[in-house]
Formats: sequence, C-alpha cells, structure tokens
Amino acid sequence: MFRKRRLGLQVTAPLMAVGFSVLVGSVIMLAIGANPLQAYAVLFGFSLGRIDSIASILFKATPLIFSGLAMVVSFRMGLFNIGVEGQYMVGAFAAALAGFGLKGLPAIIHIPIVMAAGMAGAMLWAALPIYLKIKRGVHEVISTIMMNYIAYSFLHWLLADVFLDRTQVLGQGGFGSPRVRTPELAASARMPTLHKLFAAVGIQLPHYIYVSYLLFIGIALAVVVHYIIWKTPFGYELRAVAQNGPAAAAAGINSERVMVKAFLLSAAIAGLAGLSDLMTFFGYYDIDFPRSYGFNGIAVALLGRNSAAGVIVGALLFGMLARGAEGVQVMTGVPAEVITILQSVMILSIVVAYEIITRYVRTQRKKEVGA
Amino acid sequence: MISIKGVTKRFPGVLANDHISLEVREGEIHAIVGENGAGKSTLMKILYGLYQPDEGSIELRGHPVRIDGPARAVALGIGMVHQHFMLIPRFTVLENIILGHETARFGVIDRRASEQRVKELAGQYGFAIDPKAMVATLSVGQQQRVEILKVLYRGADLLILDEPTAVLAPQEVTELFANLRLLAAGGKTIIFIGHKLDEVMEIADRVTVLRRGQVVGTMAAGETSREGLAEMMVGRPVLFRIQKNPCHPGAPLLSLDDVTVAGVGGTARGHGRGHGVGGSQGPAWRTRIARAAVDGLSLQVNGGEIYGIAGVEGNGQTELVEGIFNLQPVTSGRVMVLGKDVTNRPTAQIRAGGIAYIPEDRHRRGLVLPMSIWENLILGSHRRREFVRRALLDRDRILGHATKLREQYDIRLADMDAPVLALSGGNQQKVIVARELAQSPQVVIASQPTRGLDVGAAEFVRQRLLEMRDAGRAVLLISADLEEVLSLSDRVGVMFRGKIVAEFPAEEATPQLLGPYMLGGAAPAEMEIPLADARGEGGEARV
Repeated sequence: MFRKRRLGLQVTAPLMAVGFSVLVGSVIMLAIGANPLQAYAVLFGFSLGRIDSIASILFKATPLIFSGLAMVVSFRMGLFNIGVEGQYMVGAFAAALAGFGLKGLPAIIHIPIVMAAGMAGAMLWAALPIYLKIKRGVHEVISTIMMNYIAYSFLHWLLADVFLDRTQVLGQGGFGSPRVRTPELAASARMPTLHKLFAAVGIQLPHYIYVSYLLFIGIALAVVVHYIIWKTPFGYELRAVAQNGPAAAAAGINSERVMVKAFLLSAAIAGLAGLSDLMTFFGYYDIDFPRSYGFNGIAVALLGRNSAAGVIVGALLFGMLARGAEGVQVMTGVPAEVITILQSVMILSIVVAYEIITRYVRTQRKKEVGA
Repeated sequence: MISIKGVTKRFPGVLANDHISLEVREGEIHAIVGENGAGKSTLMKILYGLYQPDEGSIELRGHPVRIDGPARAVALGIGMVHQHFMLIPRFTVLENIILGHETARFGVIDRRASEQRVKELAGQYGFAIDPKAMVATLSVGQQQRVEILKVLYRGADLLILDEPTAVLAPQEVTELFANLRLLAAGGKTIIFIGHKLDEVMEIADRVTVLRRGQVVGTMAAGETSREGLAEMMVGRPVLFRIQKNPCHPGAPLLSLDDVTVAGVGGTARGHGRGHGVGGSQGPAWRTRIARAAVDGLSLQVNGGEIYGIAGVEGNGQTELVEGIFNLQPVTSGRVMVLGKDVTNRPTAQIRAGGIAYIPEDRHRRGLVLPMSIWENLILGSHRRREFVRRALLDRDRILGHATKLREQYDIRLADMDAPVLALSGGNQQKVIVARELAQSPQVVIASQPTRGLDVGAAEFVRQRLLEMRDAGRAVLLISADLEEVLSLSDRVGVMFRGKIVAEFPAEEATPQLLGPYMLGGAAPAEMEIPLADARGEGGEARV
C-alpha cells in the first residue's frame, strides 16, 4: 500500500509541471498575439493526427530514450554525467568506423559489432573523467563538460583530415567541395527500419520515416536498467553508495569500484544514443551530426523522475513536442522557439513540483508510521 | 519567573506536547527529565521561540508573552546553551562571545569595553577563562563555559541548558555544577534538561518529569529518588544494576598491536587537505593536528568478555574503530581478528572474518536512510548466496529474513518497504544491532551503542551485548557514557590522546578512579591552569 500510494504521487508531479508549462506557453503566445488554443490544437492534432507523424515522433524519441537512460544510471549513482553529449558523439563516430571499415559481414553480425563499437567509444570517452574523479577528486561535471568540447573538436579534425570520404562525387565539372563526412556505412551495418513491421499490420509508412528497431532496443534497455538498479546486488550497491557512501563503505562495499562500473555503464548506454541517426537516417557520420541529445537526455531523465519507465514517457513527450513544433510553425505562424520555451518551463516547473510532492509525502509518511 | 500554561504542540501524527503546564521559580535550578520523544526538546524550542505552540500560553514574570523567534527570546532575557556548541574555533573567546552583538565606536569594534564586560561576567560567576584564548585551544568544558558566557553577555536571566553534561568528563561536570550554583545564587534561573538521573538529583532544586508529551509531576529534588524518577519517566520500575553472569574469558579474539591511525589532517590521501592549518594559530592547535589520532595503541579482547573503553570523546576512539575496519588507514601496527592479520585489508574481507560493527554515528555509518528497512537489514550481506537468485536479489527470502529479525529484535515498524528514516532512533539502532548480530560474529565492536536511545531501548541493546559475551564472543565497547562502560564491561581501559593510559578490572573501576586518567593521567587542576595562566592574562578572569 505504501508503494502504490507513492507511485500515484510520482505521476502527479510531472502532470502538474506539464499543466503549468502549458499555462506559461499560453501567456507567451497571447503576448505575441497568437491564439494559444489554436496553437495547442495544431500541436496535438498535427503530431498525433496521422500515423506517419506518430512514427516520426517515435524516431525523434529513440535517441532520447538512450541518453535519458544514461542519465538515469548516472543520477542514481549520484554522479552528474554531463558528458553524455560528447560520449554519444564519440560513440557514434566509433560505430561509423566499424560500419564502413568492416566489409562482407552478414548484418546479423555486423550490426551488433557497430553497436558494440558505439558503446566502446563512449566508454573510452568516459574513462578519463571517472579516473580523475576517483584518483584526484576532480568533479565529474567539470571534467565531462571539458571532454564534450574536446570531443567536438577532435571529431572535427578526424572528419576533416583523417577519415574524410574522398570518393564523393562532386557537382558537375568538379566544382564545389566535398561534404565533411565519413564514407558510408556498409549496407550490412544499416539498422532496418520498421516499414516491414508496419506493413504487416497494414500500415504503409512513407519512405521519409526512419524509425527503426533501435526503438525496441531502447525500450528493452529501459526494462534492463530498471532491473539493474532496483533488483540486482550491483544496483543495490549503487544506490547505497549514492545515498550514503560512508555507510556503504562500513558495510564493506567498495564504493570506488561501484562508481567506476556505474559511470561506464552510463557511458555505454550513451554510446547508443547517436546510432539511430547514424545507422538509419544518415548512413555516415558528418560534421552536422545532430547535437544536444545528451543535454536533452538530462531533461528527459528529470521529467521521468529518474526512472526507466519515466524516461520513455519523457522521450515520447519531447518527440511529440518536437514534431508538433514543426506543425505549429508552419500552420499558425507561432515560432517553434515557443515550443522550446515550453520544454524549458516544463523542466523548471517539474523540479519545483517534485519538491512540493516530496514534502507532502514526507509529512504523510510521518502520519502513517507515527515517527 | 516563567509559567507555561497548557502548552500543546502537534506535529503530523504526533502530539509532542500535550497541555503542558509548569512553573519555574526565580533563581532556581529546574530540571526537566524524560525519555527520548517525551517532548523535552519541543518544549524548550517553544520557550526559545523556534516553535509556536498550537495552544496554551507563556507568562514571563506574570505578563503573557509571545515568543515568535530566538531574537525575541533573547530580548526577553531567555538564553539557550545548545548541546552542540555554536562556536567558531579560530576566533578568540571574546570574539565568539560578542559575535552578533558587537558594540562599535566609529564603525570599529570596541574591544576594550566588551572585554571589560566579559571579564566582569566571568569573575562574577567564577568562570576561569581567558578572553583572548583561541577557542580551538580550549577543552570541551571550557568551550561550554564560553557558550554560557555568550548567553549571559546577551543579558539572559533564564538559561536553558540542553543536556550540558553529555560531553563532559566527571571532573568537568563537578566544575560546571559549581558554576551553575553560583549563577543561581546570583539570581539567574536555570532550566536543566538531562537524562542522567544522578546528576539531576545533585544539581536541581526541583524536577519535572515528562512522559509522552505530558507532565507526570513536578517535585523537589529532595523528596524523590533516582529510582522514583526513573519509574515516573518510563512508567514502570527500571533495573539499574545490570544482572551479569560471571565472566569466563577465553582465547584472545581481537588484538590490536601498537596501532597508529593518523586521523583527519594527516591521512594517506593526497588531495584536498593541504590548506588552512598553520599561520597564526596557537601552538596547541597545531600539535593537535600533528599528533596521530590513535598513537601506538595496544589491547586485547578475549572471547567471553566485554572490554570497555572509557574516555572523553575526541581522544581517538572514532579513528580507532575506523582503523580496525580500514575505513581510515592504519599507518603502523597490526590488527588481528581470530588470529589473522587483517590490517588494512579490504573492509568486506575484514567483516567476512567474523567481526560486527555497531557504529557510533548510525546515520552516517550505519544506515542508508532513504533506503527501505528490509534493504538496510541486509546491508553488507546483500551478496550472500541465500539472498541472491539468478543474479537478482531474492525479495521474498530477504523479507522472510527481515521479518524474523524484526520479531527477534522487537523492531516496531508498520511497513518493511518504508524508508528506514521513518523509524524512531531506538528502532533504527535495533535495525543495526539486528543486522550485525544476525551474522553470528565472533567479535563485536560496539561504538556508543545506546547513544540517544531511551531507557527501554538502551536496556535492550545492552542485554544483546551481554548475550554475545555469554555466548563466548568478544565485545569491544566504546562509550562516552561512563556508567554504561562500568556496568557492562569486564575490563575497562581509559583512552586519552590515542593511547590506553590505564586498564582496570571492572570491579576496581570507579568514576573517581578513572576520571583523572580520562583528563590526561594527572590531577584535573593541572589541566586548567596552563590554558588560563600561560599567557599571563588569565588572572583577572579568575576568582
């Protein structure tokens, strides 16, 4: 009974936050002379009204599920892995190397290798920050932010000078310059999209939709992360170290080892965040590879109350808002930035809402247990 | 002086004060006693303006008053001496006393006038203390006097002392009581919150007993006895002398051989500690940092005996225990458990060797407060084969185990899934004791095992320790409560500045015998003089 009541309260906070941010968004839209009711109608109607639009939401949500889960693991460990941003980029690049470098493998082998390369690349990028944290007490927020900038520049150099695809066919007469990108992934390294699956239930997805099996991998991973954190001895140690390190140490738990494992796990999951774009949409890693999945992952994890199930909900919500923003901009003239403001207000208000709920739960608990 | 009339204070689910009425007379020392949770501290917080009563009123010298904050309390002449001192170690006594009440002339602190006033106050009430001494160099007893002076400096006529003797050695208690009597004789009124009944009987003029938020009664100290008070507090007769079977010591199970632990400030960890010490600090401050917290200590605990360590807190007890479990590195010497050298081994390995740990600070070292009760009951044994099935924690079996412990150790709880922080202090301690003793250890290290527990829970924990001893296990007991050490132990060692300076069989040990050793192996007077006189300025402050 204790658990159920608290679950109900945990759902209340995000709902409060969403409601409040919708309110703030309305005020902004009124201020710029737009009709909020119309805008919200378009936001929901456009994004949820058509099946291909929903598939697009699923595609947009896929990377956020991974980056959100990476944040959940690190938050539960009591670490703030801001480096998910750099880690997924390095991971995606490493995956690209495995994708175009290896040839002649069957997809069933090649795809797992590409994914493993993504995880390995991200873990490599996380190794230095966690080493510095354990050995020298360098705060992971500082070191991972720095590693993000190093990642941007390092990848830029690798792309422009080392792995540039020089076989690209340039414009007529050899004019123009080549795109700054890697060679294309082998066909066996491309993650299959869900077109066939949808077709099997009678839905024909248009070709410009790229939602792939990575969505299911992300959902399965959410279940695994939930089990790791709440059901395994390792997850138990992770929570104990995070919530009271000295007591965990006194109980014989090796806090440093737990932290290293958890941080690397977070990075490994982060390494999958870029793969949806790499393995389905682009097919190569280029200089305009999408950024900020890492930072949005922080928001998604917060919105999802640091729970694996919550991350899926949060990622879908962000996917819907992103999709809806496109429609709102085109059809109502309200700039898409208003939707971005909506997202930000949502994150801010959720922090406040959780605080209110936590206090409420605390007083309820005192009544219940009779302190 | 002050009358409390029908004061009631409710917290969610708890009636902390239930129509409390009592009267404190001008110039008396009025003790308030009661078990934990009886409502003493809530009442005091109401008097000091930290809480507002839900019902009832307070009258000061016959006039109703509303105390809406500590500032108002101070303005009304009510002062609080907290159990944990609120002093800045690097400031002088004078600076600490005037902090927040500085008198300034032309924007510059008028030291001379304040010093004059502090010296007058100190002289009037017999406080031997040098206003220019740095607080970090003072003993705990002297620091407490600074706290009292601070309150007097702000013009308090009513002083509230919250368990003032908890941190003091016996001789320091005697001095404190002498000061308190002078204060009362000088017209100050004192409310003394305590739980050591001997002390209450000695110092108080009148005693009020609280139980479950209600006043059980108020009586003159001369008209009652310790046993009578205890019965009023608990609601049933209490055994003070613990029934003990004769001791049959066996082979040594725990031996510490010339153990040194550097302690904070000189640890082996390289980072983060290199700043802030040195410069203008007094010499005593510096030597305190330089000396190892545990300094070549040796002792042996045999199976079937309880070895008690007595001593004023801060003499290396914490570091000793942490050193045994490698929570702080042992810099030299050996720790042997059951004949095996476990010095600086991984903590898990040390504990697997059959040694249990009841830590002094249960919130820091003993429990993960936000985690559930059942999870806390397996902390440290969570990787045991019986609790893990197919790589997952076996919740059903763990709950079965937890339920068994809950019955055996009488842990009162509503829901195993509730976080352990929802339990009362006594039940939290029972969670730790149950967890640690359930693994049938050969050696038990119990550090302040009954701190903060009420009489009933403390009795329960002591009985469990005696059971371990009777079962042939070795128990090392570290406690700031001298009475507890003396009543439980078979042998008593006195710890001072990181060493065992004296060791006695329990039957010979008395507070009078141990006291001087607790203060440094010399007559207590010698401790006091250098600090006040060495600087040549203490004379005027002394009576």
